[in-house]
Amino acid sequence: MTPAAPTRRMPRSGRINAVVRYAILIGVGFLMLYPLLWMIGGAFKPNHEIFGSIGFIPNEPTLDGVVQGWKTSTEYTFATYLLNSFQIVIPKVILTVISSLLVAYAFARFAIPGKKLLFALLIATILLPKSVLLIPQYLMFRELGWLDTFLPLYVPSAFATEGFFVFMIIQFMRSLPPELEEAAVIDGCNSLQILMYVLVPLLMPALISVALFQFMWSMNDFLGPLVYLSSVEHYPVSLALKMSIDVTEATSWNQILAMSTIALLPSLLLFFVAQRYFVEGTTTGAVKG
Amino acid sequence: MARSAVQLNHVHKSFAGTHVIDGVSLEVDPGEFVVFVGPSGCGKSTLLRLVAGLESPDSGNIVIGERDVTDVHPAERGIAMVFQSYALYPHMSVAENMGFGLRIRGLAKADIATRVARAADILQLGHLLERKPKALSGGQRQRVAIGRAIVREPEVFLFDEPLSNLDAALRGQMRIEIARLHAQIGATMIYVTHDQVEAMTLASKIVVLNGGRVEQVGSPLDLYRKPANRFVAGFLGAPRMNFLPAHISGSEGETITVQCSGMRLALPRPGISVAPAAATIGVRPEDFILTTSTVDSIAGELTLVERLGGEALAYVRSDASPDEPIVVKLPGDTDVLRNDAVRLAVRASACHLFDHHDVAIGAPP
Amino acid sequence: MIYSDRRLGLAYAMPFLIGILVFTLFPFVASMLLSLSDYQLQDPISRAGFVGVDNYTAMAADPTFRQSLWVTLIYVFVTVPLKLAFALLIAFVLNFKLRAIGAFRTAYYLPSILGGSVAIAVVWRYVFANDGLINQTLQVIGIEGINWLGEPGYAMATVILLRLWQFGSAMVIFLAGLQAIPNDLYEAATLDGARKWTIFRRITLPLLTPVIFFNFVMQVVQAFQEFNGPYVITGGGPLKSTYLLPLMIYEETFKYFDVGYASALSWVLFLIIAVMTAIAFRSSKYWVFYANEKDAAK
Repeated sequence: MTPAAPTRRMPRSGRINAVVRYAILIGVGFLMLYPLLWMIGGAFKPNHEIFGSIGFIPNEPTLDGVVQGWKTSTEYTFATYLLNSFQIVIPKVILTVISSLLVAYAFARFAIPGKKLLFALLIATILLPKSVLLIPQYLMFRELGWLDTFLPLYVPSAFATEGFFVFMIIQFMRSLPPELEEAAVIDGCNSLQILMYVLVPLLMPALISVALFQFMWSMNDFLGPLVYLSSVEHYPVSLALKMSIDVTEATSWNQILAMSTIALLPSLLLFFVAQRYFVEGTTTGAVKG
Repeated sequence: MARSAVQLNHVHKSFAGTHVIDGVSLEVDPGEFVVFVGPSGCGKSTLLRLVAGLESPDSGNIVIGERDVTDVHPAERGIAMVFQSYALYPHMSVAENMGFGLRIRGLAKADIATRVARAADILQLGHLLERKPKALSGGQRQRVAIGRAIVREPEVFLFDEPLSNLDAALRGQMRIEIARLHAQIGATMIYVTHDQVEAMTLASKIVVLNGGRVEQVGSPLDLYRKPANRFVAGFLGAPRMNFLPAHISGSEGETITVQCSGMRLALPRPGISVAPAAATIGVRPEDFILTTSTVDSIAGELTLVERLGGEALAYVRSDASPDEPIVVKLPGDTDVLRNDAVRLAVRASACHLFDHHDVAIGAPP
Repeated sequence: MIYSDRRLGLAYAMPFLIGILVFTLFPFVASMLLSLSDYQLQDPISRAGFVGVDNYTAMAADPTFRQSLWVTLIYVFVTVPLKLAFALLIAFVLNFKLRAIGAFRTAYYLPSILGGSVAIAVVWRYVFANDGLINQTLQVIGIEGINWLGEPGYAMATVILLRLWQFGSAMVIFLAGLQAIPNDLYEAATLDGARKWTIFRRITLPLLTPVIFFNFVMQVVQAFQEFNGPYVITGGGPLKSTYLLPLMIYEETFKYFDVGYASALSWVLFLIIAVMTAIAFRSSKYWVFYANEKDAAK
C-alpha cells in the first residue's frame, strides 16, 4: 500500500513552547510590576538616587523619605488620614455585605411581584454611569446638611446601591441546591434562620469577595471624598495624598513615593492575604453570567 | 380499629398549566410502609412533597393523624423527610445535622443529645458523630439523613428516592437496612421510587401512579398477580410482561375463550361474561413454554439469547407480537441458539386479559 | 413554601427598592431637569430657572466641549480594544499547565487592584516625569527623554498607558473563560485534523464570545467614566489634551458652579454610553454564542 500524503508529525514543540511562554510571562510580568517596585524602593532612597538610577534597590537606604512622608507636609500625619479612610470604608463594607445579601436573597429565592423588571433595573444600575447621578446626589446631601461628613460616602451602601455585588451573590446562590433549604424548612426554620444558619455559611466565599472588593474600591475612592469632604481633618488617604503632593516640595520625591506606598499598604496586604477571593469573585459574575 | 395515618382526599396540583396530580385519593394505615411507584413524571415526588407541605394542593385536602394539615407549615405536620440528595448541611457535623431541627424547635441540649445518641445507635453512626458530611461515604451520608428524620420522632417518615444516588451493591444493602428499620421502629413510612424492585421488596402497600393518577393500590403480590390494567401489569415484573393482540371469541360460565395468532386459549374467569371483542392478552416471560407441537402455539424466530447463568432470556420475533419481540424465560442450560425457529405455547391459567380500554378482565386464579 | 410569600420577599428587597428610588431614579430624573435649568451651585435650589435646551445648544457651540468629547472618544476607542486584546493574549499565554500560574495571575492582577487609586496616579506622574523612570530607562538605551507630561499627545499616552497597565482584571476573566472550555473539544478537533489557527478561530473564539462581550461592555462603561488618572496626573492638560468629559463635568460643577451646564454634559455622556451599550447588546445576537442555552436564559 502506498502512503497517501506525508503524515503530520506530532508537534515536538512542547518544550520550546513552554520556554517561549515563560519568557513572555516573566518579561511582561516584570514590566508590569516594575513601577510598583520602583515606588517602594524609591520610598527608601535618598532623593538624588531616585533621579540617578533606574534600579529599584536603594544603594543608600534611608528612612528619611518614609518618616517625612508619614508626617506629610500638612498639619496632620498619615495616622489621621488612615483613620478617616477606615471610618468610611469599614461601615461601607459592612453595610454593603448585609444589604447585598438581603437583596440577593430576595431576588434569588422569592417570588417578588415585578421581579423581571426589578432585575433588569439591577443590571441597569451596574451599567449606569455614576456621573449622571453625582450632581443631584450632591445637592440632596447638601439639603440634608451632610456635607463635610462621612455619611454621604457610606449611607447609600446600606441600600444595595452597588448592583454588581448583589448580582454576584445571586449567581452564587443559584448554584446552591434547593434541598438544603427545604430540609431547613422541615426542620422548622423561618426565612431569616435559613439565611443565617444554612445560606450564609455556604455563601461565605462570595461574601468575603464582596467585602474585599468593596474595601479596595472604597480605599481607592477619590471623587466621592473630593466632592463631599472639605475640611482637611476629614480627608481620607486618597484626598490627603493628592493634597500633599501639591504641597510638598517638588524635589522631595522620596517623600511622595513613600506616601504612595503607605497609602497602598492596606490594600496590598489585604490582596496578598486574600487573593483567591478576588479572582473567584471576579470570575463568578463574569463567566457564569 | 386504627384510623388512617395519612389521608389524601381528591388532591389536585398543576404546574404551569400541566395537571401533575389529577384527583388523587389515598389512605395510609398507621405503621404501613407505602411505596409510591411509577415512571418519571408520574407525579410521585410531587405527591410526597404535598404530604410534606413543600407544595400546596390546588384543591383537595391532606390529613395526617386526626388533623387536616392542608394549610399547616411543614415543620408542624409531624413529618420528617429523607431527600434523594440527603440534603445534609455541609458545614455541620453529623451530630449537629441530626440535632438542627430540634435546636430550632428549642429543645434542651440534653434532650437533643439523648435523641441524637439513640438515633445514632439504631443506625450505627455512633463513631461518626463529629465528622462532616464530606468525610462520609454515600451510604453513611444516607444513614445520617435517615437519622435526622428519626430524631424528630415524626408520625410519618417520607422518603424521596433515597437510594437513587447509590451504586447497585450499596442499594441492595441499604434496602435491607431500611426494611429492618421499619421493622424495628414500626413507624408509618411513605417511600417514593421509580424502581419496582424496591417497591416490591419494601412495601406493605404499593400505589402505582401514572400521569398524576392512581392506577392501582394494593399489596405487592396482589398487584403482581392481579393487575387492574395493562399499565400496572407492564410496570411490575422484570422482564416486562408480553402483550399480544387477541380476540375474545366467547365466554361460558367458568372460562373465556380467546383467539390469539392461531392459538385458541381457554382462560379461567369464573362468573365473568363478555361479548366478543378485540382484546390483549398478557403473558409473563416465565409463562411461555417451548413446544414442538404446532397446535395452539405461535411460531417465531429467536433473535437473541441472554444467558444470565441461572436462567436465560430469549427474544423471539413473531407475527403474534408485531411491535416488539416476545421475551421468554428459559432455564439457564437451555440449548436454543440464535436464528432457531421455535414454537411457543402459553399457560392459559396464567394468562392475563385486557379489554380494548386496557382494563383487566378478571385475573388468573 | 415560605418562598412564595411575596410580601416577605419584598421586605428583603426593601433596601434595594428604597435605594433605587432615592439614589438612582430620583437623581436620574433630577439630573435631566437640572440640565434644562440655569442653576448655579451657590444658589438655593429655588432660584433655578427653566431655560429649555439652552445648555445643550451652548454645548454644541462650546469648543471646550468639543475638545473634551474628542479626547474622551480617542481615549475609549484606543484603550478598550488594546486592553482587551492584550488581556486576551496574556490569558492565552497563561492558559497552560503552569505550576506558577497563580503567581503570574497575581502579578498581572495586582495593578488593576491598585491602579484606580490616587497613589498610583501620583506614582505615574513621577514615572513619566522629565527625570522619571521612563525617561531614565530611555536614556540608558540611548533615546532622548520625552516631555511626557508637557506635550499634548504624550500626556494622553501616559493616561492611556495607565489604563492599559490595569489589564489584569480583564485578563483574569478571560482566563476563566478559557479554562471553562472543555479539553475534549480541542482533542476532538485535533483528531479531525484541525490546525492550531483553525481551532482558535472555530472553537476557542466562538466559545469565548460571552466573556468577550461581558468584558467589552464593562470596559467601555468604565473607560467613559475615567476621572482619577487624568485629574491627578495631568489635571486635564496640557492644553486640555487629557480633559476627559468626567473632568469637565466636575470642573463645570465645582469650579465654575454652572450646575445646569454640567448636568447637560453628564446627560450627553450618559446618552453616549447608553447608545454604545445598546449597540453592543443588539449586535450580540449575531456574534455572541452561548454554549448552554439554559445559562443564557439566566
